[in-house]
Amino acid sequence: MDNGWNIVVCVKQVPDADDVSIDPDTGRLNRSDAEAVLNSPDYNAIEAALSLREAGGGTVTALTMGPPTAGEVLQVAVGMGADDGVLLTDRAFGGSDTWPTSLALARAAEELDADVVLGGEETTDSSTGQVPPGIAAHNGWAQLTYVEELEARPEEDRLVARRDVEGGYERVAAELPVVVAMGFGENTPRTADLHRKIYAETEFEPTEWDASDLGVEDEVGMAASPTQVGGMATADPVPREQSMVDSADELAEKIGEVR
Amino acid sequence: MTATPNYDDEFDAIVVGAGLSGTAAALTMAKDGLDVVMLERGPSPGSKNVFGGVLYTPRIRELTDLSDAPKERYVAKKTYSMLSDAGDETSMSIAPAAWREEPHNDSWMVLRRDFDEWFADQAVEAGATLITETTVTDLIREDGTVVGVETDRPNGTLRAPVVVLGEGANSLVSEGAGLKRQDDRDNVAVSAKEVRKYDREKLEDRFHLDGEAGLAAHYFGDGAVGDAVGGAFLYTNKRTVSIGVVYSIEDAAHGERTPDEVLDQFKQHPAVAPLVRGGRMVEYSAHAIPEGGPDSMPDLVHDGAVIVGDAAGLVLNSGIHLEGTNMAVESGFHAGQAIADALDRGRSDAAALESYEQRLEESYVVQNLDHYGWFMDTAAEEKEFLFEELPHALGDATEEYFRMDDRPKDEHVSDAKSHILNASGGWFGMAKKAWKFRKMLS
Ligand SMILES: Cc1cc2nc3c(=O)[nH]c(=O)nc-3n(C[C@H](O)[C@H](O)[C@H](O)COP(=O)(O)OP(=O)(O)OC[C@H]3O[C@@H](n4cnc5c(N)ncnc54)[C@H](O)[C@@H]3O)c2cc1C
Repeated sequence: MDNGWNIVVCVKQVPDADDVSIDPDTGRLNRSDAEAVLNSPDYNAIEAALSLREAGGGTVTALTMGPPTAGEVLQVAVGMGADDGVLLTDRAFGGSDTWPTSLALARAAEELDADVVLGGEETTDSSTGQVPPGIAAHNGWAQLTYVEELEARPEEDRLVARRDVEGGYERVAAELPVVVAMGFGENTPRTADLHRKIYAETEFEPTEWDASDLGVEDEVGMAASPTQVGGMATADPVPREQSMVDSADELAEKIGEVR
Repeated sequence: MTATPNYDDEFDAIVVGAGLSGTAAALTMAKDGLDVVMLERGPSPGSKNVFGGVLYTPRIRELTDLSDAPKERYVAKKTYSMLSDAGDETSMSIAPAAWREEPHNDSWMVLRRDFDEWFADQAVEAGATLITETTVTDLIREDGTVVGVETDRPNGTLRAPVVVLGEGANSLVSEGAGLKRQDDRDNVAVSAKEVRKYDREKLEDRFHLDGEAGLAAHYFGDGAVGDAVGGAFLYTNKRTVSIGVVYSIEDAAHGERTPDEVLDQFKQHPAVAPLVRGGRMVEYSAHAIPEGGPDSMPDLVHDGAVIVGDAAGLVLNSGIHLEGTNMAVESGFHAGQAIADALDRGRSDAAALESYEQRLEESYVVQNLDHYGWFMDTAAEEKEFLFEELPHALGDATEEYFRMDDRPKDEHVSDAKSHILNASGGWFGMAKKAWKFRKMLS
């Protein structure tokens, strides 16, 4: 690549988890009071995207699917340093689960000629973690999930990741194009520069695409979503016993009792 | 990265803080066609706001359409109660019919978290820019003139012809930049407040409210805040009640009890406990309030900068009145107009901005502060009488006056009078005090 990689970072607007409560009677999430914010794991994805650009050049484009107001999360990304932002917005997308969502994002990533696509580990409002692997599957690209650290190898057209695996970590190299799900909290997202933030919130305009721009108008929305919600239940907190111990020996003894 | 424009001197004015005063200034300037940026440290305006409860809206109503604003209840009734620490309550209740009619005496219980965000939105709709999560850390000065601000962000300086300081009571920027002395200790009050949530119907039953009507209750005496100079309040919102205490910081520093202990004690007073029983605490906060008065006002106008609202000491905290919202908005409005006039003439020096101070002096703001400025001094001088002896005497006197026994009413009346006379230092003392406090209710 002469001009560096085309890096696409997928971000999502979610209700602020701090403001979401569960109605004890209906078991439904009450999101009405919650501010719409950027999904917090996505900050790590944006930071990783910006670091990749610093290491190997190229551009970072933030990508989101959502209602017109979701443009606000693109402003956050552009404020932090993304070059541009694309908003996929269309009534036809309404009710999409992770399958059509990752399809639309996959088509947009193709459209953007992406070398690397990044996403957060999961979203705070649905916690599936399915979208980045979905993008990889729809496009037949490589995927790296639960990533702790990335190393760009532009001369080899490869991206090396340190991945969190049970009991330790592994280092994997993937051929481009590749989809990355960054682990939550694995890096320290940068603070937006004041002038960049003002630019992002006052002058920056995202590119908008609808379903037909991506050619997916018949493959998105509620009807194209295989997920079926079987039911909702709230779990009562289980009372837990607590006790303080004064020494390690005593602790060992207690653990022995439980076993 | 795509190029980042530089916004130095792209805005006509920078407003520090999107509270009531800052937003009023921004809205006024934006309506006048100026480019204004508001820098707010919170994630949204009002999110860091601690506030007892009544928003006074005369100027806001002129600046913007209030009908869609998030308001809780209008003040339909005010009560003033003397509480003694022995459990007595003597109170007066005011509920003029006119308050039930629009515009409800321009007095609304609001939750600032909701209201400030809405108000800042009005400024944005008028063309102002709001940048949140950005704390101003210092002013940039060149040859004594303020030419911009420094923030906590990378590449964080921003220059503009005028800076409006609407940062509230804890005015670190104005003080740090030497535009203002740190408030004298005894010019600051502390407050502790909690918000309790109730079932709406239960709340309306408990306080006899209907529709949007609400109660603003004020309490004085050692049953309210112990032996400190100050008072306590209770305001009803739609589904919540705000309860708090406000008293002189001198007493807070020297007294034995912490603000939350003072608040707890107040909540246990027999006149108060049934009003705040049950429910769930949803918020607790403690805060400093400048006690204000004309003597604590800093210079409001500087080369390239003006100070508005609480940062300018524009609070009336007389014990009977706790007002700052109206003066915050009023000062922001006058500052905004003065800045627009000055910039119109291509100037931003102190002499050109001077008309802000003049307008404010002509408005009710400074007049009210002058009028009540003496109060805190008097109250401090007469602390024992006002906050300890009087509440007990009133309690004893009313008890005497209404006592049901076999003595004739006349005797009760004269006994009642003597309780008050004793507390006041006899007829002569009473006359002196009456004279001293004559202005309190006028
Ligand atoms: C407990 C309590 C009860 C009260 N009750 C009443 C009442 O019933 N009626 C009444 O009229 N008044 C009342 N007041 C007073 C009233 O709240 C204030 O007078 C009013 O809020 C002043 O408005 P302001 O805009 O000057 O400051 P604030 O409302 O304090 O706003 C200041 C804003 O600036 C922001 N800010 C501060 N520093 C910085 C910085 N460095 N950089 C960026 N942003 C910054 C803050 O986050 C905030 O949004 C009460 C006050 C308290 C504490």
